[in-house]
Amino acid sequence: LSKVYFSTWRGEQINNIGKPQEEWETSAYNLPLEYNEHSSSKAFIGWDGLALFNPDVDVVRLATEYAAQYQVYSEACGRCAPGRWGGRILYDLLDKIARGEGSVADMEHLKEVSRTMQDTSKCEIGKTVPNPLLDLMHHFEAEFMECITKQQPSKHYHLHDTNYIAKITAPCMDACPAHVDIPAYIEGVRDLRFDDSLMATRQTMPLAHTCGRVCPHPCETECLRSNLDSPISIMELKRLGADYEIDHGFGFFHPVEQKPKIGKKVAVIGAGPAGLTTAYYLALDGIDVDVFEELPVLGGEVAVGVPEYRMPIDKYNQDIEAVRDLGVNFMTNTKVTADMMRQYEQDYDAVMVATGTRISKKVYCENERADIQGYWGAIDFLDKVNLQVKYDIMVPEADQKQHMLDCDYVDLTGKTVVCVGGGFTSMDVVRCSIRANAKKVVMIYRRDERTIINNTTYEEYHEAVEEGVEFIFHSAVAEMRDENNVLKSLLIDMFELVPDPNGGRATLEKIEGASFEMECDYLIPAVSQSADLKLIPEEWEIERTSWATIKTNGKDYMTSRKGIFASGDCEYGPMTIVNAVGQAKRAASVMARYVVTGEISLNDDEIMEDHLRKLKVYDKKKKITGWLPGLPRQHGEVLSVDERRDNNLEVKYAMTQEEALSEAERCMRCYYIAMVAH
Amino acid sequence: MEGKMIEFTINNQPVVAAHGETILQAARKAGFYIPTMCYIEKTTSCASCRLCVVETDASDSLILSCQTPPTQGLAVTIDSDRLQMERTNIMRMYDVNHPLECGVCDKSGACDLQNKTLEFGISSQHFSAKEQYRKIEHWGLINYDPSLCILCEKCVHVCNEVIGDDAITLHFGGYSSAVIPKNSDVLDCTFCGECIAVCPVGALVSSDFQYSANTWELKQVPATCAHCSAGCSLTYEVKHTSTSARDEERIYRVTNNFEYATLCGAGRFGFDFNIQASKDEAKFNEAVLALKSASAIRFSSLITNEEAMILQRLKETLGIKLFNEEARAYQNFMSAYSSISGKMAFGGTLEAIAQSDAVIVLGGRISTDNPAVRYALTTASRHNGAKVVYMHPIEDALLQNVITQFVKYEVGTEEGVMAMLAKTLLNVCELDKETQHFFDNLDEGYLCAESNVGEEEFAKIGKILTRAKRKILVIGSDVLGHARASNIAKLCATIETLTDFSVVIVPQHVNTVGVSLICDLDSDLNGANVVGYNAKGSFTMGSMGECDLPLSALNSQEGTFVSLNYHVLPTNVAVGYKGYCLNDLACSLGVNQHYTIDYTAKLPMNKGFLGRAFDELGNFYGTLGEDLRGYMLENIDVDVNGTLEEISDLPEFNGTVVYFCNPVNQFNPYTARSKQLQEPIVVRGSAQFAAAARINDGEKIEICYANTIIVHTFVMDATLKGTVALMPTYENGASEAAYRYEKAIISRVGN
Repeated sequence: LSKVYFSTWRGEQINNIGKPQEEWETSAYNLPLEYNEHSSSKAFIGWDGLALFNPDVDVVRLATEYAAQYQVYSEACGRCAPGRWGGRILYDLLDKIARGEGSVADMEHLKEVSRTMQDTSKCEIGKTVPNPLLDLMHHFEAEFMECITKQQPSKHYHLHDTNYIAKITAPCMDACPAHVDIPAYIEGVRDLRFDDSLMATRQTMPLAHTCGRVCPHPCETECLRSNLDSPISIMELKRLGADYEIDHGFGFFHPVEQKPKIGKKVAVIGAGPAGLTTAYYLALDGIDVDVFEELPVLGGEVAVGVPEYRMPIDKYNQDIEAVRDLGVNFMTNTKVTADMMRQYEQDYDAVMVATGTRISKKVYCENERADIQGYWGAIDFLDKVNLQVKYDIMVPEADQKQHMLDCDYVDLTGKTVVCVGGGFTSMDVVRCSIRANAKKVVMIYRRDERTIINNTTYEEYHEAVEEGVEFIFHSAVAEMRDENNVLKSLLIDMFELVPDPNGGRATLEKIEGASFEMECDYLIPAVSQSADLKLIPEEWEIERTSWATIKTNGKDYMTSRKGIFASGDCEYGPMTIVNAVGQAKRAASVMARYVVTGEISLNDDEIMEDHLRKLKVYDKKKKITGWLPGLPRQHGEVLSVDERRDNNLEVKYAMTQEEALSEAERCMRCYYIAMVAH
Repeated sequence: MEGKMIEFTINNQPVVAAHGETILQAARKAGFYIPTMCYIEKTTSCASCRLCVVETDASDSLILSCQTPPTQGLAVTIDSDRLQMERTNIMRMYDVNHPLECGVCDKSGACDLQNKTLEFGISSQHFSAKEQYRKIEHWGLINYDPSLCILCEKCVHVCNEVIGDDAITLHFGGYSSAVIPKNSDVLDCTFCGECIAVCPVGALVSSDFQYSANTWELKQVPATCAHCSAGCSLTYEVKHTSTSARDEERIYRVTNNFEYATLCGAGRFGFDFNIQASKDEAKFNEAVLALKSASAIRFSSLITNEEAMILQRLKETLGIKLFNEEARAYQNFMSAYSSISGKMAFGGTLEAIAQSDAVIVLGGRISTDNPAVRYALTTASRHNGAKVVYMHPIEDALLQNVITQFVKYEVGTEEGVMAMLAKTLLNVCELDKETQHFFDNLDEGYLCAESNVGEEEFAKIGKILTRAKRKILVIGSDVLGHARASNIAKLCATIETLTDFSVVIVPQHVNTVGVSLICDLDSDLNGANVVGYNAKGSFTMGSMGECDLPLSALNSQEGTFVSLNYHVLPTNVAVGYKGYCLNDLACSLGVNQHYTIDYTAKLPMNKGFLGRAFDELGNFYGTLGEDLRGYMLENIDVDVNGTLEEISDLPEFNGTVVYFCNPVNQFNPYTARSKQLQEPIVVRGSAQFAAAARINDGEKIEICYANTIIVHTFVMDATLKGTVALMPTYENGASEAAYRYEKAIISRVGN
């Protein structure tokens, strides 16, 4: 939190005009005081007010520039009468005043146009652009009037000493790790322009099918519509554009035309979401990309981890084919070693490590030994299930023996499966076990029902319960019990939440005497995963994080070794697909500049993106205007338990067109424009 | 939820809305006026003008009524000082820098911007913004002036959501936004002209019409389009051509009720096909003599019901035969159809296609055969996400954004394909023993092999239909002339009778259905002494080109047609005709009625006509879009006495084949001679066809089939594949009943 000269941001009233800097008050918000390491900001102006960090700011010019940015950035706009003409009138009048030709009547016209824009514009951008302008005209009326009465230009009107950097955002876009232009793709659905919808998604998110299905959609948590009734079903609306492309056999709708080759090449290690995303955006920029994948199939954990009933492989393959369509080379069955990495560093202009986290962590119980038959890591278990279900790649004989299978696929008939987890991976394990015909499937989870829903989704948990998974909350495995190295049973401890008498966080404490023994055939640890980084040459001394992933600064995704980048789970630790995509998209942008200039840099758009995320665009207290509350969120149909529990049919149907259109109509197009003067 | 009405109030009056209806729609139904500039009923809301904002008790802010459904109990206020003030300000913005060229603007007098400017009393420019230079675009039949454009987006929505061309888009740029061709430098579309129709100002105009007349000078003649079997409503707009006393009127343009109906380019631009002649008594007497001594009259289905009735009376009076092989094929098809369904007509309509969520189209190049069907498919695809299965030997690029499954079958194998399709669709139905036996005995291996349609393709059709609720089977005119048309008809009828599919059969011409119902047609054996009415004969008469006695064209006649929907539709005289008409001849031959339209009330009631006189028939749409034109034929019950026949051996069409199929906006000699639709007459084929026929792009070729030799220019078309070429028929009159494909020997002229 920092001291500011003046702020009306989000309704705060800070006015230090005339006070010495030491006495300035601090703002309650994470305002971007430093634009980047080279430059301090002078002012920040946006949809919800403005802040000045420097008494020397030319407020009339600032208002004019903000109105001008609305003209420049109106590619997102220009779609309603008040916004289109109103925005232009605002700019023309402000500029007239700023250059010393304004009249008092212009001030009145500005207010009148502002009101109509605020009341009737189509998008939030049109509704909110007048907000900080009115603030400026109100709080700095004297400065405006001076230009008018003296018919003189504002103080910096003819100086070129300030950069005005603007960025379009929206609460959902800000919340999305991949910063997908969500209002645009929803508008594509609403306008029945599904090609436009898909192209809007693919600007920053190549995996449109995938993230139309298996994204935990943090955007929906920060959807402004929740302030009015309930959030838009943002994730699913992505499917309409993606399905349109498939249904009609159109090639691929790429967001921009692919640039001609620039003669640079990049190696990407791992063909999961992060690797695919890196490859996609580098290829769009005209860079040759070779992707090396250890598995026999492409797609990483989404292919071999996420089950068919959640993410049908033919849809995911469409996402992968969109990448291949740009000329990306894929090499499967290629486990990259440290020697190969040394060679790649020589052969390529840059290398992206996107190898994920594929080592299942231990549950840390007594007698936990990998050589006990029946102990089966979640990642390997899901590999075996998915390779067979999706690709007809059968379980090799050695693995059949190790995992006590009577046939060449995962058949758990008559078996009891216990999974320890609480995240998506563990949900996939238990629901796949049900589909593999297990007699009994139990989930052991340390915390409660509410937390498991928070960590996954409401639907995921309830569907698992419906399918017959037994959840034991506040429990943990204390000991594996085996006979001759064959798992026979588990000792389960029970816990309870004990509130902290000092009002702190409640703690889990073991309930003495409540422990019990549970017979079982398999224990599948799905607690978490760690990264296998043996491919990184030791002498590179690449920095690691405290949880043993590759360290970057989280902005440009370069590792401590120049030219070697990392993104996705191997950088962040096990996280979501959309997180991996967001990191890789940013990294690809940095890499595309790096392979040409040898410099690591962020562009203004990226700098602003990071500033806004820090500031947080979504405001849960914001009052919604212009929209009728009470229009229900639409839900797509789900297969009944009987229809789904013994097969791999996709559990969730797409919304019907009618449902999707009703849902798209609810989107309020909360585009905002933010600008920094530095 | 569905079906339940939402009760709310507008200005304290109780109003109801159906599920999915918006506040604006409910208000309009209840007779309330809310101003709009960008609203068009047949598309999703453009939501650009913001004039339709209303106040509610659920929020102290303004709500956009065109895109918001009401909630139960909501109190809506549609007029208040605040609303008036905001709407006035919006109109003030619309008027900023709008060029003051109303004096010459095509739209003047019928302009929404003029009307709303008046309504809100904007008498001067209240706000100002910098003028910008804007270039007028010339896109063939269409001109676009961005400085007049108010960016309502109606054109863009219609082009994408109803037409399916998706040829224009909005270039976003705030104040400098404009409509631009999508993915192209110049407009590349089917030139339906619907964008002109929906434009509320003079931004998109017909280049032919521009600066030729003032709106208020034009006389509006409501009529029915003569070019295909859809029976689209249109208005001929007519004016004198000079101030001379001997002045003749001409058609200046065609408009349509774009709010509810849609028109293709042939209807909109192909209007100038009327002919003129004086009364030449000598020729008239020759015609009377020819008819007296004729063995038969051969005629096309470009004819009104009343004329068809006259021909039927002449047949009865003179004891001659009536030939119209095209209508007879339809008649036979429907007779076989009825023998299974027990109904005179099928159950589907164009509207049902538009509302469907699954459509199978089989046996016709539907996008050019019948644009109205295409628009209905587009509507269903866009708005309902309809699955569209297109079964045909030739892929159709125009339908790519609509079709979700293309099933290519071999030319000639329609009966086998239909049988397999029926089996697929009937899979879930209880069948009687006989029908079950029929399907059990199908030689699926043979049918799939010969038609080249795999069992998995049929399985896929079955699969995509599982979630559909409103299903339609559209049958094109390929099958009407097929040697096994009767059995195909019976298979269609079996589907309609036993499944939840409804069927639409798409005949070729404007009044194929009417002729098939009114005339007792004979088999045409190409005998001598046949009088041709808009058809070949030893004595010819009509309006289609060189003939012995000119008779009035269809836009110079009043009368009725029966559309493919079995809808009786009136048409009127756009421009008068000074020569003779068919009724004059009939009167000389003892078939007496004063006016042709005296027959309208006498149309056969046993075929479902209602005996209503011409002047009783409406020719307009209601204010809420109700189609109040003419009337629907009664669907008469008929005997069920048909049985499915065993599938015969499927024919093979090897080598080069031509398919009689017209290009976009071309249907008949009327369109062929329309000034705005002029284009070179060419045969289109793929590179593969060219290789097989050893011909090159642009060469003159000779096409030989069934004792016919035709010479055309060949054009290679990159959107086509395979060895079937598209052969136009529009320039020389209707192609007759024969199957639309012919094995042809192709040679380069001069070789």
